[in-house]
Amino acid sequence: MRLVRAIGQVALAVLNTVGAVSLFALRGLAALLTGPWFFGQLLRQLSAIGFFSLPVVGLTAVFTGAALALNIYVGGGRFNAEQIMPQIVALGITRELGPVLAALMLAGRVSATIAAEIGAMRATEQIDAMRTLSTDPFRYLVVPRLVAAVIALPLLTVVADTIGIAGGWLVATRFLDFNATVYVRNTVDFIEGWDVVSGLIKATAFGFIVALMGCYYGYTASGGARGVGRASTHAVVAAAMLIFASDYLMSFWFSRL
Amino acid sequence: MRGQWIETLMGFVVLALAAAFLIYVVRVGGFEGVRRGYEVSARFGDVGSLAPGATVSVAGVKIGTVSRVSLDPKTYLAQVDLAIDPEIKLPADSSAKITSDSLLGGVHVAVAAGGSPEDLKPGGEIENTQGAVDLFGLIGQVVRPQPSGDPANED
Amino acid sequence: MTRPPPKLEWRGVSKRFGAEPVLNRLNLTVPAGCSLVIIGGSGQGKSVMIKLALGLIRPDAGKLLLDGKALPGLGGRLQRRLYGKAGVLFQGAALFDSLSVWENVAFRLINADGVPRKTARRRALAALERVKLDPDIAERFPSELSGGMQKRVGLARAIAADPEILFFDEPTTGLDPITAAVINDLIVDQVKRLGCTTLSITHDLASARRIGDEIAMLHEGQIVWRGPAADLDRTDHPQVRAFVDMQSA
Ligand SMILES: Nc1ncnc2c1ncn2[C@@H]1O[C@H](COP(=O)(O)OP(=O)(O)OP(=O)(O)O)[C@@H](O)[C@H]1O
Ligand SMILES: [Mg+2]
Repeated sequence: MRLVRAIGQVALAVLNTVGAVSLFALRGLAALLTGPWFFGQLLRQLSAIGFFSLPVVGLTAVFTGAALALNIYVGGGRFNAEQIMPQIVALGITRELGPVLAALMLAGRVSATIAAEIGAMRATEQIDAMRTLSTDPFRYLVVPRLVAAVIALPLLTVVADTIGIAGGWLVATRFLDFNATVYVRNTVDFIEGWDVVSGLIKATAFGFIVALMGCYYGYTASGGARGVGRASTHAVVAAAMLIFASDYLMSFWFSRL
Repeated sequence: MRGQWIETLMGFVVLALAAAFLIYVVRVGGFEGVRRGYEVSARFGDVGSLAPGATVSVAGVKIGTVSRVSLDPKTYLAQVDLAIDPEIKLPADSSAKITSDSLLGGVHVAVAAGGSPEDLKPGGEIENTQGAVDLFGLIGQVVRPQPSGDPANED
Repeated sequence: MTRPPPKLEWRGVSKRFGAEPVLNRLNLTVPAGCSLVIIGGSGQGKSVMIKLALGLIRPDAGKLLLDGKALPGLGGRLQRRLYGKAGVLFQGAALFDSLSVWENVAFRLINADGVPRKTARRRALAALERVKLDPDIAERFPSELSGGMQKRVGLARAIAADPEILFFDEPTTGLDPITAAVINDLIVDQVKRLGCTTLSITHDLASARRIGDEIAMLHEGQIVWRGPAADLDRTDHPQVRAFVDMQSA
C-alpha cells in the first residue's frame, strides 16, 4: 500500500513537471511571436552559446571521428569490409554523433550556465526588479536564449560534422594507409543530403531542449545559492536525458520515412 | 567580454580548420557527383562481400565505383551497376572480375580491357565476368559460361 | 463624494508562507502625493507588503487597489500601467550584474521606453549625480561597488524615468550620515517638487521623521499605529514607544 502511494506520488511529480515545462515552453513561444524582441540580447547569446562553444565542440568532434574510424576499421576487418570505413564514419557522424555530441557539450556548458545565471537573478530579485522596470523578463532573458540555441546548435553541428569526418580522415590517411583523395571521394559520393539534413533537424530540437531546460530550472529556482546550484544540476541532467530520448524517437521516425 | 581573447581565438581556429577541410573536400571530392560518369552493368554468379562504393579499376587504377548491387530475379545472378569515369572508354569485349583488394583485404571489381574497336556504350553490359572466389576455395576460379545467342559477344 | 480614491490601498490583505502568517488582513491607504513611512521590526513583513503592492507575489486573501481599481494578478494591463509609473528600490538593490552601472540606471529608458542609448546615458549620468555618485563609476559593474554605492545606484535607477509612485525599501541603510541626509533630501524633493507618492521602509527614525508626512507601524501582520511624524514622540502606543525609545537610548 505504501509502495503504491510512493509510486503514485513520483508519477504525479513527474506529470507535474512535464506540465510545467510544457506551459513554460508555450509561454516562450507566445512571447517570441508577440514581441517586443531584444535583438541585442539575441546577439549576445548567439556569441555566448554559439561562438564560444566552438572550441569544445571541435575538440570533441575530432577525437570522436578519429576513434570511430579506428573502431569501424577493426570491426569492418572482421568481414573483410574495411574499405567501407569512410562511408560508415561519415554516416555515423552526420546522422547521429555530430548532433548528439554537440548537443551534449552544450547541455554541459550552456544549460548549466543559463540555469545559474537566471537562477542567481531570481535569487537576488533581479527578475522582480526587471518586471518593475516595465521589461518582461521572459522576453528579455528566456526568448533570446531559446532562439540563440535553436540557431546555434545546427550551425555547431555543421562544424562538428566537418571536423568529425576530418578526424576520421586524418587517422585513416596517417595510420591506416588509406588514400586521402579516395577517402574524401568515397565519403562525398556516399553521403546523401538527407543524412546531413536529418542530423540538422535533430540539432534544432536539441538546441531548444538545451536552452529550455536551463531557462526553466533557472527561472523557477528558489532557495538562494543552494537553489541555484541545484537548478544547474537539474538542468544538465534533464537536458541530457531529453536529448537521448528525443534522439532515439527522431532516429526511429526518420528511419521509417 | 574582457580577458576572453584566448577563447575568441580558439573559436576562430576551429572555424578556420573546419573551413579548410571543407574546401579540401570540395576540391578533391570534386563534387563530380554531378558528372558521376556513365553506368554499365555486369552480372556475376557470386559477388561475395562486394558493396556499393567499392572501387572499379583497370590495371589497378581506379576508374569508377560500384553504384548498386542487386539480384536479377530471372537468372538469380547478381546484377552489379558500375559508374565509370566518362573520360575512360572501355572496349565492348572487356571483362570484369571480382578480386580481393591486396592492400585493404576488401573486394573490388577489376576490369581487363578487351581488344574490340567498338566501345562499351553507357547502359551496356560487360558480358565476360568472373565472380568472387568462394570462401572455402573449393571451386577455385570458375568462369561463368557465356549466355548463348548473344550477338554482342561474337568476335 | 468628490474625494479622490487613494493612490494605493491594501484592503484586507493576508499572506502566509507555509504555516507562518506574515500579513493578517492588513488595511492601509496611501493618499496621492503623500510620503508614507513604514516602520516595524525585522521580519514583520514590510518588504512583503511592497512586493504584494507590486504584484510580484500574490495575496492569499484581500486585494490591492491602484487609484481605486483592483490590481489583477501578474501581467495584467493595470499591473503594467503601475510598473510604467513606479520606481522601486529593492532592499538588496537588485542591480543587474551583467550590465554596467549606467546601463542599469538607464534600463527602463533603453528597454521599455525606446530612448536612444546616447540620450539614455545622459539621463543616467544625471540620475547618478543626484544620488551623489561620481560619473566615473558609470562604466563599472555592480560587483565592483560597495554595498552603499550599490544602494545609491538602485536609487538612481528608481528615479531615472521620473516615476509617479516610488517604493523605497530601506533607502539609507548602510550609508554614512552625510550621504543618508542627501538621500533623505532627495526623497523629500521628489515628493514636494514633483508631487510623487512614496512609500518608504526604514529602521532609521531620523530618516523617517525627515521624509515621512505620515508614519505607520507594522506589527504582527497589521498596521497597529498610524500618525504624523510629530506624534511619534507623544503616542503611548506600547509597540511604537518601545521602537522609538530603544533608538533614542
Ligand atoms: N519568498 C519567501 N518565502 C518564504 N518566506 C518568506 C519569503 N519572503 C519573506 N518570507 C518571510 O516573511 C517574513 C517577512 O519578510 P520580510 O522580508 O517582509 O521582512 P521585513 O519586514 O522586510 O524585515 P527586514 O526589516 O529585516 O527587511 C519573514 O519571516 C520571511 O521569512
Ligand atoms: Mg525587508
